[in-house]
Formats: sequence, C-alpha cells, structure tokens
Amino acid sequence: MLARQFSISSLIFLIIFLIQESFINQLRLPGGGFSLPLLIALTWAALSTPTVGALTGFISGFLMDLSQSSSGAMGHWTLLMILACYVVAFLGFGNDNVRGNPITNILLVSSASVLTLISFVITGFLLGVSFGSFSRVLITILGNGIWALFVTPLILPIVTRLHRTLFGNQAHI
Amino acid sequence: MRYGGEGRSRLLLIILIVTSLFLITLDLRGVKILDGLRSGTQNVLSPFQKAGSTVVSPFRDFFGDVTHLGRTRNEIEKLKADNARLRNQLLQRKSADAELEQLKSVLDLAGRAGYKVLAARVISQGASTSFTQTITIDVGTSSGVRQNMTVVSGEGLVGVVKESYLNSALIMLATDPDFKVGVRIAGTQQIGILSGRGSKRADLQLLDNQKIVKVGDVLLARGSTNNRPFVPGIPVGIISAVDNTAGSIAQTATVMLYPNFSALGVVSVVLSAGKNNPGDALVPAAPQPTPVPTVTIFATPTPTATTK
Repeated sequence: MLARQFSISSLIFLIIFLIQESFINQLRLPGGGFSLPLLIALTWAALSTPTVGALTGFISGFLMDLSQSSSGAMGHWTLLMILACYVVAFLGFGNDNVRGNPITNILLVSSASVLTLISFVITGFLLGVSFGSFSRVLITILGNGIWALFVTPLILPIVTRLHRTLFGNQAHI
Repeated sequence: MRYGGEGRSRLLLIILIVTSLFLITLDLRGVKILDGLRSGTQNVLSPFQKAGSTVVSPFRDFFGDVTHLGRTRNEIEKLKADNARLRNQLLQRKSADAELEQLKSVLDLAGRAGYKVLAARVISQGASTSFTQTITIDVGTSSGVRQNMTVVSGEGLVGVVKESYLNSALIMLATDPDFKVGVRIAGTQQIGILSGRGSKRADLQLLDNQKIVKVGDVLLARGSTNNRPFVPGIPVGIISAVDNTAGSIAQTATVMLYPNFSALGVVSVVLSAGKNNPGDALVPAAPQPTPVPTVTIFATPTPTATTK
C-alpha cells in the first residue's frame, strides 16, 4: 500500500470509528447491535490483496482498541483484525466468486465477523477478560452475525466505490 | 499465495502481528503510555459523543422499547397510556421530559440520603462487541468526578466511575461481569457480595447461613471505606430467586437490579456522602396493588305482561 493510500484509508477508518462511537453505540440496537469498523474492515479486506488486508486490519483493530469501552488488552483487537482481514483478503483475492458476486461477499464478511467475535472471546478468556454469562455472549455474537447480514449489503456499494477510487480498478462489485 | 511479492507480504504480516503482540504485552504489564492513548482518544471523542447524543436522543430508545414490548401485560398497558399521553407532544420535548423525570427521581434519592451529587447525561453506551457493560457520561475531572465514585439513578445503584477524563467519564454498570459490590439485606442486615453477570439479573453470595433469605428481600449497598467506591444505603436490587441447594457453604440468590439500564438518560455521580449512614431509609416502597373496582348491579324484574 502506498503511503497516500495508507493515510487515506486511515482517515476513512477514523471517520468510521467516530460514527460508531458517536452515533451507532447510542442507538441501543437489539441483539447487541453491530460494529461498523469490523464490518467495513472485513468488506474492505475482501476487495483487497492480503497485504492491504493485513494493513487494513491493523488500522481498524488499533482504532477498536482505542475505544474506551474495549474490554480487552490494548492490541487484542489489533491482533485479531490483522489475522481476520488477512484471511478474508487471502480468500477473496483472485477469487471472482467473492469479488464479482455480492452474495458470496456478504456471506464471507458476515461469517468472518462472527468468527472474529468468537476468536475475541476465546483469546479474551486466555488473557483473563470477563465476558459475562454464556447466554449473553451467545446472544451478542448471534446478534452481530444477523446485523452483519443486514448491514453488509448496505455498506458494500459505498465501500466498493471508495475502494475503487483509492486502489484503482480492483473491485468490481 | 496467489500473487507476487509473497515474501514481502509475509514479512509485513509478521511485523504487524509482532507489533500487536508487543502492544498486548505492554498493556498487560501496565505501561502508562497506553492508558494515556485511550484517555486521550476519549477526550477527543467526548465532543463528538455529546453531539451524537443530541442527534440520536429523540429515537435512542426506540429499538429498546420495541424489544421490551410484550414482557408483561402491565408494562404494555403503561406504555399504551404513556403513548397516548405523549402523542401530542413534540419529539424533542418527550426526550427532555424523560430526562427531567430521571433527574428529579435521582435528586430525590440523593436528597433523602444527604448525598452531594452531580447530575450527568449519558452520552454513549459501550460497544456490545467488547462484551463490557459501560456508559459514558458528560462530566469528568473538570467537574470533580474521580475514579471509584458511586453512580446512581432515581431507582438505585447504576455503577461506579471506572475512568475519569477531562469532560467525560466511563461508568462500569452494575451489570458488568467484572462488577462486584458489598451489599446487606434491609432489615436482617445480613451481608453478601453481589456480582454482575451481563444482564439485569445479578448473583448474590451471602457470607453466612445464619438467616434465611427470601424472595422480595431488598438489597442495599453496604458502603466502602471513605465512601469509595460505594456510599452506604443505596438501593441495589431485590431478590428474585433463592438457591437452596442442600449442603452449600453459603446461600446464593439471584437479584433483579433496580435501574432500567437500557433507558438510562440522566444519572448522578455521588461526590460525597452525608455525615450519617441512611440505614434502611432508601428502601423503595413496595408497589401497592391497584384496587379492583367492584361493580354491583341491581336488577329490577320487569313486570310480566298480563293477557286479558
């Protein structure tokens, strides 16, 4: 990723982080709501090369760690987002079924979002973080998965357009 | 890998992973610079959250209200009545009225106990993906709010100040899995420890088996040394179920916390407690059953028609 692309991507994710912290967190959505930085980073990664995916994960994960409500250690989300975005980018890169088919893309992002949250809980337990009752964790993860299925189709055209503007003609959804 | 630059890509991935592991290590070792990063971010975010709160407040509780519909018949009846009453009012006025009501009840509670409190608006709720139960309020160190101060609503204990920033503060709610508070049962004065479990219900572990607890017993905060983190006498919740497992060392119970955490608009930070312990003075009045009107019908028999 060129320095210009990296800095513009950072700015975009900073704005997304602000929207999440200032507006979406206050809506008190049922089922635990959704994380816009998580969904947009995964969608962005699905359209990118694995290198860009890993960097995207680093930027978004670092911002998620900066949230004052983040329960994990600083760097916890960063680590998971690097891995999640890298894997999503690896699966999506060069695969026309992901890049050219919105439904596959939405399913990939939604399932990756659920798996990332599960990984967050598991690694959080290893780091000594309390997450509450099992049913509560289950509801939050399932709720996030369902929200991801609804929200990803809405953000996909915007993310694709932004990605195309920044990285050229790589994404075609 | 299906593209060129495989080595560089892997090297970058390793560098990023090592960086994140480095951050985790620093954080777990308690390096202050990382705390500074988070508090600095919160100071920057605070004005945006206040602006967001103003924009979102008219429809903030919409989804919450929808999910709570159908829980009890009484609630539905009350919501219907509220809806009819509020229908003709402006949307912004509705929000302001609700906040005023919460403020009045919390000031009433603080006044009865002799607490010096500072009212605050809830400007943000913690992200659900972090699995914590927190809120952010619009007062901070500039208003005298410090870490480990008690936070109350008109209904009772809301939580404790976890972090305090210049113009905002992060509150750990009583529902948070990490939350623990020493409590006593009003009347019997039996003491125990209440732990949050991520929902409106909390776990109570009593410290002895001398007296039997029962459903309906009211829990009050026991208070801490120098009144921090908890001032004494704040209503915490009501016992909704008792675990009477034979052979257990200490009694355990499930507690229904008093505040409605999904509709917190205005809360108060207790800056200092009164000179005297309020004791059981803050125990909420038990709900009075609504009298059912008895209708007596007097029927007068119709004179039967006579045939001539």
